[in-house]
Amino acid sequence: MSPRTRHSLELVLDNLVWFMLVFVLAVFSMFIPNFFQLGIFANIVEASSVLGVMSIGLALVIIAGHMDLSVESVAALSAMAVGIMFCSSGIGLGVQLHPDWLMVPVSLAIALAVGAIIGVINGLLIVRLKMSAFIITLASYIWVRGLVLVISGGRSAQDLAPAIRWFGIQRLAGLPLTAWIAVACFVIFSLILAKTPFGRHLVMIGGNETATFRAGICVNRNLIVAFVLAGAIAGLAGWLLAIRTSGATANLGVGLLFNAFAAVVIGGVSLKGGVGTLPGVYAGVLLLSAINTAINLMGLPANFTQVIHGLLVLAAVLLDAFKQTIRQKLA
Amino acid sequence: MSEPLLVLDNVAKNYGAIQALRGISFSIGRGEVVALLGDNGAGKSTLVKIIAGGLEPTSGRMLFEGKEFLARSPAEAKAAGIETVYQDLSLCTNVDVVANFFMGREITRKVLGVPVLDERAMEAVVGKALANAGTRIPSLRTKVEHLSGGQRQAIELNRFVHWGGKLVLLDEPFAALGVEQTRRGLDMIRQVARQGIGVVIITHIMQQAFQVADRIVVIRHGVVAGDVARNKTSPDAVINMITGETLAGAGPAG
Repeated sequence: MSPRTRHSLELVLDNLVWFMLVFVLAVFSMFIPNFFQLGIFANIVEASSVLGVMSIGLALVIIAGHMDLSVESVAALSAMAVGIMFCSSGIGLGVQLHPDWLMVPVSLAIALAVGAIIGVINGLLIVRLKMSAFIITLASYIWVRGLVLVISGGRSAQDLAPAIRWFGIQRLAGLPLTAWIAVACFVIFSLILAKTPFGRHLVMIGGNETATFRAGICVNRNLIVAFVLAGAIAGLAGWLLAIRTSGATANLGVGLLFNAFAAVVIGGVSLKGGVGTLPGVYAGVLLLSAINTAINLMGLPANFTQVIHGLLVLAAVLLDAFKQTIRQKLA
Repeated sequence: MSEPLLVLDNVAKNYGAIQALRGISFSIGRGEVVALLGDNGAGKSTLVKIIAGGLEPTSGRMLFEGKEFLARSPAEAKAAGIETVYQDLSLCTNVDVVANFFMGREITRKVLGVPVLDERAMEAVVGKALANAGTRIPSLRTKVEHLSGGQRQAIELNRFVHWGGKLVLLDEPFAALGVEQTRRGLDMIRQVARQGIGVVIITHIMQQAFQVADRIVVIRHGVVAGDVARNKTSPDAVINMITGETLAGAGPAG
């Protein structure tokens, strides 16, 4: 095999999920009436912003060889905190700040801080007690959701302050600002993961934690930072969720965790750690969103979505194994 | 030799009631190659981990360059100038050769105040280091998981030769190497020692120890059972020390 064919084959393998996305979009455009229009594509991007942001944090800890099951509940808690503070009806306190725009940074800071605090708790417990991230974050998944129920009393907050809502309404090049925030997050964190020492260390920790420790990398500190980032990013997802629904309910975002997992796996991230890129994850998120949109357009019952997502995850895992065999032949 | 590089003074390590090391004392000079021999379970790897910062001793003390020394983590040992090549390789197979070579010591440049990996500079350094050592690897951008066992071990060896430091610990570094590569590895050790770096090499192969070492230290049941200059002993005598038939030269280094 010439180096050139080998190189292009590697390129295809590395970006397989993007080719899948293009393929799926092409097939949908051909066979589903009304699918091929700019508005539909914009809708796919827009509908994927909350899930996309949440998947970034999840992908970071999975690439570092761990796991964070709490992202969904953390997003709900952040959304609820923002909702209670800045909603004017339901359980909202309707806090007013002057000038109005001040509510944007304050609400964002609250959402990020809530997420970061839970991230610190997760990270410290996992690193200091050397406990499995699966168990610790499963506990967080449950108690944080419980906290949402406790502080809301099971009720909801509606009518988010217009100054914050503005991000969901104002459009730039056909997309609401919330979608641009998600895109910006992917760009920033992709660069961090691929180009900075911190990102490189996370990937290597996911590959061989002992080796990185022996090489003098502060494994514990890096892992705690990863969990704090995952928490804060989940907080940002919660903020976007509150804007999207103009408030918060006690069961906000239920089920997002599994979609995030699906997106991460479809995006080519190995649950064993050390393998995967964030652009791939974004393609995975868009792929899920495209399929949802297609199901809506075809008028199929929404219940089909879950079945299809499940099959897609299965396909992604099989594909990953297949890619491994091809790579071994290439080497 | 004036002042020894590293002095071990009665270093002991217990795991509960089990005494892995019962009090090890010997010293290593600058530019000296010490072969550490002993049967399985004699405590060689434990000793290396204590010096390299992976384990803390239960008692005893160490002097490094004449100063009290205790590495609480591999990072501290590295900062002091101690490099280690472990028996089970310490490579991240999911990243490429360059990333492994620079693990934890990446070259960066600032872009808008953010440190960014300088891949080109790193690749140049690695290419030069491997070429100097005569190691051939098709592409430095290949992930290590696609390389053979020998190539992996060569990367580890080249890594320690490149970074050097003051003291190098090698825990059975040639386990996966062929004859020619082993010979080159032994040359590398002599070359490193000529630069004034102290080398401790653990090996099971008597021939290697006699080829490369200036001094041979035998550990048996967690104590030093023999500490002799290579040219004043023979393989048979060393084997007797390992199996415990004689106690020639027992005790701390003079």
